[in-house]
Amino acid sequence: MAEFLEFNDVSKRYGPIRAADHVSLSIRRGEFFSLLGPSGCGKTTLLRILAGFEYPDTGRVLLDGTDITDQPPNKRKVNTIFQNYALFPHLTVRDNIAFGLRIARRPAAEVREEVDRMLAMTQMEEHAHKKPHQISGGQKQRVAIARALINKPEVLLLDEPLAALDLKLRQRMLFELDRIHDQVGITFLYVTHDQGEAMSLSDRIAVMNNGRIEQLGTPAEIYEAPTSSFVAAFIGDTNFFDGTVSETPEPEYCRLRIDGFPDVLCFNDKNKQAGDLVHLSVRPEKFRLSVVKPNVDGRHNLVPGRVEEVIYLGSQTKFLVRVQDYRLSIAQPHSRFLLDEQPIRWEDNVWVWWHADDGYMLDRYSEKDEALKEMPAE
Amino acid sequence: MMNPRNKSFGEWLVTLPSFVWLFILFVIPTLIVFTIAFKPADPWGGIGEGWTLDTLISLGNPNYPAIIWRTIWLSLVTTVVCIALALPMGYYIARAPARWRRLLLLLTVIPFWTSFLIRIFAWKVLLHPDGYVKRALVFLRLSEEGTMLLYRSEAVLLVMVYTLLPFAILPIFAAAEKFDFRLVEAARDLGAGKLRAFRQVFIPGIQRGLLTAVLMVLIPALGMYIIPDLVGGPRSEMVGNKIAQRTFVDRNLPHASALSAGLTLAVMAPMLVVLMMQGRRREEHEVR
Amino acid sequence: MKRSRIPLYTTIAVLVFFYLPIFVLIIHSFNASRFSGSWEGFSLRWYIRLFTEREIWYALRNTLIVAFSTTVVSMVLGTIAAFALHRFNTRLQRVHYTLIYTPLVVPDILMGISLLLFFVAIGVQLGLFTIFLAHTSFCVSYVAMVVLARLQDFDFSVIEAAQDLGANWWTIAWRVLLPLLAPGIAAGGLLAFTLSIDDFVITFFVTGPGATTLPIQIYSMIKHGSPPLINALSTILLVVTFLIIWTVQHLTEDERTHENA
Repeated sequence: MAEFLEFNDVSKRYGPIRAADHVSLSIRRGEFFSLLGPSGCGKTTLLRILAGFEYPDTGRVLLDGTDITDQPPNKRKVNTIFQNYALFPHLTVRDNIAFGLRIARRPAAEVREEVDRMLAMTQMEEHAHKKPHQISGGQKQRVAIARALINKPEVLLLDEPLAALDLKLRQRMLFELDRIHDQVGITFLYVTHDQGEAMSLSDRIAVMNNGRIEQLGTPAEIYEAPTSSFVAAFIGDTNFFDGTVSETPEPEYCRLRIDGFPDVLCFNDKNKQAGDLVHLSVRPEKFRLSVVKPNVDGRHNLVPGRVEEVIYLGSQTKFLVRVQDYRLSIAQPHSRFLLDEQPIRWEDNVWVWWHADDGYMLDRYSEKDEALKEMPAE
Repeated sequence: MMNPRNKSFGEWLVTLPSFVWLFILFVIPTLIVFTIAFKPADPWGGIGEGWTLDTLISLGNPNYPAIIWRTIWLSLVTTVVCIALALPMGYYIARAPARWRRLLLLLTVIPFWTSFLIRIFAWKVLLHPDGYVKRALVFLRLSEEGTMLLYRSEAVLLVMVYTLLPFAILPIFAAAEKFDFRLVEAARDLGAGKLRAFRQVFIPGIQRGLLTAVLMVLIPALGMYIIPDLVGGPRSEMVGNKIAQRTFVDRNLPHASALSAGLTLAVMAPMLVVLMMQGRRREEHEVR
Repeated sequence: MKRSRIPLYTTIAVLVFFYLPIFVLIIHSFNASRFSGSWEGFSLRWYIRLFTEREIWYALRNTLIVAFSTTVVSMVLGTIAAFALHRFNTRLQRVHYTLIYTPLVVPDILMGISLLLFFVAIGVQLGLFTIFLAHTSFCVSYVAMVVLARLQDFDFSVIEAAQDLGANWWTIAWRVLLPLLAPGIAAGGLLAFTLSIDDFVITFFVTGPGATTLPIQIYSMIKHGSPPLINALSTILLVVTFLIIWTVQHLTEDERTHENA
């Protein structure tokens, strides 16, 4: 059966830049789907192609089985929340929301009723008579949502809708968006460069880079099981290791020999054989840290190191720990730090350990992606 | 989405009205000026048959070099004085607090909106032999009873500065407003004196506005006609006066055309210089 | 850091320079004396005389006819031109831009003489109609520049938003583009109106018998008429101009304070 919304081999070039490079993508009905990636990765281009503002060089776009590639934007059953909201500055909040229905020449009574419903849903009743420049950023956001949803689109497109808001407001609007999605039940296509937004809202995420989809999956899949060094480094922080498989002591595990680092045991879901090259990613919070040597079983890796930096981050503390040629980025939640037998300080000699299952083998690795990590290796 | 053919049709549709209007009423008349310069005059004030170089040759008449020289000289002095006054003023307005800035700007713009003729007339009254300026000068023993303030080149210069000064202040202000004054602070911090910081950081920073200001003053000054006509005398005529005289008094249109063609070329020269300077700056930016 | 005082003093001096002649002129319009040299008491006689001068009323009528038609036509042509210049980035538009820009810098005497020769060459009767043609030719450029400046800080995503909400091009032009550009178009129109009312040099060249406009009337009064009468006329014109500027300023100021709210 055909999916609800489909990009079929869609490409778009701007001069030498490939904004979309033969992208194929299926989105389910009612899903909250995010396109996540750094600026210039092509996520906005895909959204604009779907909205009808851009025409793809190759490929088709299908909505509910109908090819909409050649439809002009005003004929498509999709509506957009623009990054800067693009509210009509000469119209009041009420008239902004009513715009779409008036264009469709719906009876005045119906327009009034629908607008009232939208004002209630977005809690903007008391601001209905104001002009856009008289309301706050968060309120503009709600008007933009109401103005789009009143047309009962099949898909709502959101182009970095929270980028213009400050941190606190952004968190409030995240809940708001989630609530509205549950309430209206239509498909949301959300474009953002902020992994936090994508993670907390989405049913599924497509991580994009250089006009291509790097990985598609649920937030947990993308975080816990990144398939490429780009995804691992772009979503959160990570540590990369590259080594060769020296032996496979059990069917599911293998031992890696790494230049400038002790041997490491890791989970072998990729069925690697002795001699194979492996790129490993370990998230900072998967490490444990202690001054006292802990007792660990054979499934753990345990290595000695020396603390080079301690960075207090409020909710957690980040340690940079030297282990031979590597500098590990390690995050420890605070409750541990405070209750621990002994606080860890700069230049302490420590033990670092982690479970073999917490390292994840990457399918693709690029040297370039090292730069995306929050802290440089040296 | 518009397809390419529709797009170019749409472009022509919105371009043609103004394009055709200006082509007929600006380009063609300008070309006619250049054409008629090569036509003989007929005795009835019209344009004769055939082609001739006589008109151009008669511009060699010793009267003309003096007038042309005076026109260039007066225009250049006007420009220098206007820029010298507009620079500190534009700087001051740009640095003034927002409330003051609006007021000062308004005060600068008002003369620009008021009638050109009235502003010239106001000076004619002031400079009149019985006027206040004259009486003040005599009182201060800076001038003698018999000296004439009106109908001389200095009067023309004064009134030209008066009428053209807003055109210099506005572009300089516009550029200064966008200028990042922390650069001046940085220069001072690095040891530059006040004047040096002004000259080496501020002036290059507002270069575009400065060039615009020069053009906005120099070009109208070169073509100035009513100011010498009203406050100047026979010894302070400019090219503009000659054009009007040949048109209205002598009714020698080819002669007026030849002068106008020369003036057109003269005003194009500074424009081309500025365009070239701006073009070169743009190239430099691209290299960087 | 102590700031130099030169800019402040220059500014004050320039403002005195700007306004002193105008003030002297206004004061003298109430002088009972025929001569500007002596003050013989406050009087409104020159204003009263002014209202009986039929020539001035006639010239005013002509000026307004020309100014209104010039304003309307140049607003339409200038707005469309600005839209073309902003929307398209082609070789045609570069030529178009030069064509729009040049009339702004060409000295008015050159526009005057070239239009006169053109009208003579094609045999058009000189008069109000030729004045209107000439005025529109330079006002189009001013309107186009003002509207173009407005378009440049115009947020084009609202057009996409309108399209997204189902509007076609016609609806967008009428319900979004025009209302949003209205202040810019109005400002351009006002500029065209003032320039047309004020123009002397070009009008002088292309005017014909009987087509006297106010500046031409003032010019001939300066040349031959009595100075106190011109003082009075000038004062009236100055007051009208101040009122217009004040209104415009007031309107835009309102808009700005709203934006800050």
